[in-house]
Amino acid sequence: MPEVVVSIGPHHPALKEPVNFKVIADGEKIVRLELDLSYNHRGIEKAAEQRDFVRVLPLMERVCGICSHAHSTAFAKGIEEIMQLEIPPRAQYIRTIIAELERMHSHLLWLGVAAHLIGFNTLFMWTWRDREAVQDTVEEMSGNRVHYGMNEVGGVRRDLTPAQVTAALERLPNLEERVNKYVDMVNNEETMLLRFRGVGKLSKEEALRYGTVGPTARASGIDYDTRKDDPYLAYADAPWNVVTDTQGDVYGRTRVRVWEVQESLKIVRYCLENLPEGPIRVPAPKNAPKGEILSRYEAPRGELVHFIRTNGTDKVERVDIRTPTLANWTSVAMCLVNQNLADLPVIVAAIDPCLSCTSRITLLDNQTKKTGVITLDELIRRSRSRDLGQV
Amino acid sequence: MTGPLTLDVVAGKMKEFGISEQVRRNRIRITTTPDKVHETIRTVQAILGFDRLITISAVDNSRTFELVFHLTGPHRMVISIAVELSHDLPAITTVSDILPPAAIYERQIHDLFGIVFTGNTNLNRIMLNEDWPADEYPLRKDWKPGPDTFYGGIKVERS
Repeated sequence: MPEVVVSIGPHHPALKEPVNFKVIADGEKIVRLELDLSYNHRGIEKAAEQRDFVRVLPLMERVCGICSHAHSTAFAKGIEEIMQLEIPPRAQYIRTIIAELERMHSHLLWLGVAAHLIGFNTLFMWTWRDREAVQDTVEEMSGNRVHYGMNEVGGVRRDLTPAQVTAALERLPNLEERVNKYVDMVNNEETMLLRFRGVGKLSKEEALRYGTVGPTARASGIDYDTRKDDPYLAYADAPWNVVTDTQGDVYGRTRVRVWEVQESLKIVRYCLENLPEGPIRVPAPKNAPKGEILSRYEAPRGELVHFIRTNGTDKVERVDIRTPTLANWTSVAMCLVNQNLADLPVIVAAIDPCLSCTSRITLLDNQTKKTGVITLDELIRRSRSRDLGQV
Repeated sequence: MTGPLTLDVVAGKMKEFGISEQVRRNRIRITTTPDKVHETIRTVQAILGFDRLITISAVDNSRTFELVFHLTGPHRMVISIAVELSHDLPAITTVSDILPPAAIYERQIHDLFGIVFTGNTNLNRIMLNEDWPADEYPLRKDWKPGPDTFYGGIKVERS
C-alpha cells in the first residue's frame, strides 16, 4: 500500500493545544511523523526582555496554565541566585508545597485524559473529581486555581495560616486513599492494561539517546530527576524517592505518574507538618548584577530549564526557556514509528475534556427489569472476576 | 563514569579546547571557538560521560551571537560549552549527528535567531507561523516590527 500523509491538527478533538502532526502512514501503521508547533508562539521571551523582574514573574506564570508555578519558580530562583539572595526556609517550604500540589493535579489531570483517550471515561471523571480536592487546597492557599501568583523575587507573596495548614492536612488522607486506588487500578484494570501495555515503547537506550525527560524517561528506567540531581527548594529535606519503571511504554508512564503522586503526597505532608517559622521573603534589590545562570526545575512533565542572562539592570538580557515537552518531542516522534494510527492520541497523551459520566453505576437486570445501585468496590470486583452477579 | 568529577579533571582533559571554569557547585563552563564545538562535544561525551543534552541556549549580545550547549551525565555534573558566532554570518556545524535531541533545538534557534546549523537537514519553521516574513528574526536585539510589514495571520481593519 502506498504511503499516505494524514494531517492531524492543529484543530483536532484529541488535541487541546494547537499542534500539527503530519503523520506518514502505511495503512494503519505510522511510518514517520513531522511536527509543526508554530500556532502558539506568543513572543514571551522577547516580552520578558522589555519588563523588569517584578513584571516578568506574572508573565512567566502564563507560559503554561498547568505548570505555572514551575515557570515562575524557575525564573525567580535563577534571579535570586544571580542576586545571591538567601531565601528564608519558610518561603522554600511554601514553594515546595505549591510545586508538589501542582505536580499532583497535573498528573491526575493527565491520568484522566489518558483514560478518556482510551474510552475509559469513568476513570476520567474520578481523577478529575479528586483533582478538585488538590485545586481547592491550592485555591485556599493562593486564592487561585491556575495562576497562583505565589512567587516574587526574594520569597513568596502569601504566608500560610495555621488554619490553612490544618485544612490542607485534613484533605490528604482521602487523597492518599484515592491515589492508592488508582495505583491498584493501573496495575490490575484490564481496560487499561490492554490499551497501555506495549504501546509507544521506548527502550532505556532510545530514551537516553533521544534526550527524553521527566516521567517519560523514568518509565524507561532512567533515574534523572532534577529534584535529586540538583536539589532546590526543600527537596533535600523531605523524604521521597525517585520513581522509575522498566516497562518503557504508556503503561510504564502511567505507573510512574501515579507513583509520583504518592511521592508528592509524602513531600506535601512533610512540608506542611514541618513548616519552619520565620519570614516568608527577603527584600530584593531592584537591579541584578551581570550574570548568567541555568535554572533547572523538575516540572510535572520533566526537566524545565530557564537560561537567564542579566546585564546589571532591572531587566533580563535574555531568558531562554526550554520546556520539557520540547525535549520530549524527539522521542515521541521516534516511538510512534510502527505504531497503530489509532494509538497516536494516547501516545501523544493529549488533552480533550469531556463531560459525560458519573462516579457510580446503575445496573438493570434485563430479565427481571429490576434496577439497583452497586458500590464502586463491588463494581471493580465484578469486572475483574467477570462475574456480573445479581442486581 | 560515575562519582564526582572535579574541575581539575575536566580542565586537564579539555585544555586543548578552551578555558574551563567552575561557575557553581556542580556546573563547569568551557569557552571554546565555533570550529571546535563538534570536537568538544564529542570529547566530553566520550571521555567525561556527558551524554545528555539539556538544551542549547542562544543569546544575542548585539555584537555577537552566543550559543551555550548544556550537557549532563550519570555523574549529574552540568557542563556548559559556550561559543560566540559573528553577527554578520552566523553559522556553525550541527551537532545533531552526535546528539539527536539537538536537532529540534537547532531548528528553534534557526527560526528565532537566524543562525544556520550546517549539516542539519531539517531547519524548517517550528515556532513562527508559516506566513512570517523571511529574513526577520524576532529574538535578535536589533529586530523591530516594521510598521507596514505583515507578520501573518488574519488582517484586521481597525477604524
